[in-house]
Amino acid sequence: MSDVFLELKNISKFYGNIIALTGVSTTVNPGEVTCVLGDNGAGKSTFIKILAGVHQHDEGELVLEGEHVKFESPREALARGIATVYQDLAMVPLMSVWRNFFLGAEPKTGVWPFRQIDIQRAKRISKEEMAKMGIDIRDTEQSVGTLSGGERQSVAIARAGYFGAKVLILDEPTSALGVKQSGVVLRRIVEARNQGLAVIFITHNPNHAYPVGDRFVILNRGRSLGNWAKEELSQAELTQLMAGGAELEQLQHELAQASA
Amino acid sequence: MADASAPANPPTEREDKPAAADERLAHRGPIQQLLTRPEIGALLGAVGVWLVFWLVSGPFGTVAGTANYLDVASIIGLMAIPVALLMIGGEFDLSSGAMTGATAIIVILLSSDTATLGGAGLSLHLAVPLSLAFALAIGWFNGTMVEKTSLPSFIVTLGTFFILIGAKLGFAKLFTNKVIVEGLDQSSGYEFWDNIFGATWNRNTHIWDQRDWAWAGLLIIGGLVLLLGILELTYARREKVDPTGYGVAAIGAAAGLVAFFLMLRSDGGNLGLGILLGAGVLVGVAGWCLARYQPAAPDDEPQADRRRLMQRLGGGTLAIALAIALAAILDPFDSGQLDFVGGAAGRALLALGIALTGILAVLAALGRVSPSYPAIGAIIAMIPAVSFMMTVQAFRAILFAALAMAGVSLLAAAGRGRLKVVFSLLISVGIVALAFFVRSEASSRKLRVELFTALLLVALVIAAGAVAGLISARRTAAPSAPGMGWWTRTGSAAGVVAAVVFAIIELVDGDGILYSLFTGVVKGLITVFAIYAVGTVVRTLFTDDDGMGRALVSVGLGSVALGIAAKLLFVKSSELETLRGVTEYGAGVLIFLIFAVVAAWVLARTQFGSWIFAVGGNKDAARSVGVPAARTKTTLFMMVSAAAWITGMVIAFRLNSVQANVGDGNEFRYIIVAVVGGNLLTGGYGSAIGAAIGALIWGMIQQGIGFATWNSDWRFLVLGALLLIAVLANNYVRGRAEKAR
Repeated sequence: MSDVFLELKNISKFYGNIIALTGVSTTVNPGEVTCVLGDNGAGKSTFIKILAGVHQHDEGELVLEGEHVKFESPREALARGIATVYQDLAMVPLMSVWRNFFLGAEPKTGVWPFRQIDIQRAKRISKEEMAKMGIDIRDTEQSVGTLSGGERQSVAIARAGYFGAKVLILDEPTSALGVKQSGVVLRRIVEARNQGLAVIFITHNPNHAYPVGDRFVILNRGRSLGNWAKEELSQAELTQLMAGGAELEQLQHELAQASA
Repeated sequence: MADASAPANPPTEREDKPAAADERLAHRGPIQQLLTRPEIGALLGAVGVWLVFWLVSGPFGTVAGTANYLDVASIIGLMAIPVALLMIGGEFDLSSGAMTGATAIIVILLSSDTATLGGAGLSLHLAVPLSLAFALAIGWFNGTMVEKTSLPSFIVTLGTFFILIGAKLGFAKLFTNKVIVEGLDQSSGYEFWDNIFGATWNRNTHIWDQRDWAWAGLLIIGGLVLLLGILELTYARREKVDPTGYGVAAIGAAAGLVAFFLMLRSDGGNLGLGILLGAGVLVGVAGWCLARYQPAAPDDEPQADRRRLMQRLGGGTLAIALAIALAAILDPFDSGQLDFVGGAAGRALLALGIALTGILAVLAALGRVSPSYPAIGAIIAMIPAVSFMMTVQAFRAILFAALAMAGVSLLAAAGRGRLKVVFSLLISVGIVALAFFVRSEASSRKLRVELFTALLLVALVIAAGAVAGLISARRTAAPSAPGMGWWTRTGSAAGVVAAVVFAIIELVDGDGILYSLFTGVVKGLITVFAIYAVGTVVRTLFTDDDGMGRALVSVGLGSVALGIAAKLLFVKSSELETLRGVTEYGAGVLIFLIFAVVAAWVLARTQFGSWIFAVGGNKDAARSVGVPAARTKTTLFMMVSAAAWITGMVIAFRLNSVQANVGDGNEFRYIIVAVVGGNLLTGGYGSAIGAAIGALIWGMIQQGIGFATWNSDWRFLVLGALLLIAVLANNYVRGRAEKAR
């Protein structure tokens, strides 16, 4: 039991009489990328929000380092080392890079009531951490709004790593990006994994998921279609499953008939 | 200029550029960095408004006038600052105006005598904290309602607003049968609280005969340090100091000082001494630059700049020529009203303005010109209306000064760049000539003396800048400041000791404990500043430590501020005989200044400040990284209501009786003032200092109309027009600043 870092057992979530998520199980381990795939409305967002502490699951068990947990707030999840990088709302665009980097956990100096942010340190560290990700930010005072989409994601990933996240949840980090920038973000994911983080990568693009993933969970209309290790699955099978498996076969069949 | 179609969010422009190319980050000089600050537009607006009223009214520029508009500004600003913080946090509080009156009424109703005045008869020691608790409860309610229901704060606080104005009137009538509650000064504990909220600084009773020396000395030191700081920020240091430069600088400084002292003794009007002073300063600056800064690298001047240079030179000369012509045409001694509306010229101007507004509005709608252009037409249409209120003299003064300023700034702009130094020097000579022209021609004594001095100063600065530029190489980015180490530790220790010693001295002298504490703390702070200032200057002059530019600039600004404070707060015994009336500063002004400083510090330096920007800029992102968004916003609402309580107390203890409707409707003034100060209505961006400057603009306009003896029926028209201009200027500057980033 204790060798598994984070385990989800039959997690379910209901919004009133709507079943948003039911019976999802998987394991998340350090140094592994767990990919969660699914089409729109498959329950991916609900899945993340349960892990991030925004929502609480109604059924099932969430086991973190051998302990049953239920996060009441994003702060609590963060304190347990689960950091989430959301697709669009990772950053405050009008704020500077260093303020964004340290937002919520500003380094402080001085005695109360003159306690203030240690700006020099914050600037230096954010610059260093961004350099580790391969992005040279000369002026950390520049606002995040002036960064490109890939750079913004990178700031968020660097921030999660710096603050000792053990689990990094990435919500569709590549969906709004171009081909080249998606590559940049995928490389960050691999780097984060190599540093020993457990990464949960949410996407609807199997072409992005397969090269970096170690484990795949596929959701469809709130239900889990299964939980595979990479060895058990080829990229073609993944795409097939992702697109609804049998439904796609049915569709192909119908199309073939129609054209015949 | 026709960039109406420019993208609303610049970030998307950069989307496609390569990720790791930091070279695209252009360096910004100190001036450019300054221009990206949100409050800079408001600051320029404030200077403009001050200039207008200074030109058209005698008493406006005096100490009494300053105290007068500061008082109005402080009552608005006390609220505008926390309202600005709330706005940055993305919310509004429409109940803030009514709340100022509500706390005042509550404290009077709780404390006034039961039998005669219908109050509850409580001691003020109980009533004042109770009213604070009430205010905080309302703030908490507003914040919690907004957070729990996710309704717009506009709606929630509109509800609170109506509840408060209803309750104020209802309870006032219920308990006292009148729409006014009164009798605060008869309550028990009045004296103690009046010492806090109703205290005044009476300038007539504070005599300090060395005042003018302190004022002039601090101004000169401040100016010099400021110049030094800007040089340090702008130009690159030499590897090794060249001592001959120091010799040259010393000769220049000596000549300047001699001229200055001779000028002081000879009533200040001697052209020869003026030239000696100017030359001395120029030689001093040149020597200093030779000693400390690297010689300029050869620079090839781009040909394209030549056309712009000629345009600016032409425009500048034209503006100054127009100013001189105007001075000749308009009769300087005509004190009659200026009335355009009756005449054909007025009607033509009105028609032209309206037509222009229409045409420009259509063009703006089609996206051909910037959306701010129709305002030009509106302003032209307004001239006949505004002219109602002005005398010929005032109009002449405003036009004259505006043209002169425009001309000077165009010429100054032409004077930038290394090969244009000759032009700059010629320009400064021209400006000196203009200054002497003003001195001989202007009808008003004030215009003669003060504009003369200002023009001389401008000429000097342009020339000094030209010389420094000629000698020194520019640096791309100033190095970051080293810590002050030993100086800071000594300074803080000495400051604490000084604060305690001075407080004890005052106590032994028999002053009240509050006053003693206050003076002690102020003197302690001055001690800290003095040691820090000396340390900064000493390290710049006598060590090789680079990067002191920023510290020097703040020390210079601090000295100037201290000089102004010395001038405003004290009188000389000789002045007392000629002063008519009493000049008083209320406690509100002090609290207003403290608010401005503390709020600016909180926004720029503290975690809470970061959180305010974050919840206003992107609440969900802030929440997702663990910022307690609901708590931050509720705290902001409670800060607004706490400020409303302080404002209410200041009003109550000043008047001792309060109308039921006091403060109602002020919430929009707070919001307008905050917007004028550069705060974004949509949240996430702004400045507390900007809001304070906005309040200052408001106070100056409100009181300036009276000082200028304009017909006060038109007050709101002028207020509206000037606010519109301030916002437009703000918008324009911010637009330019964002493009420069």
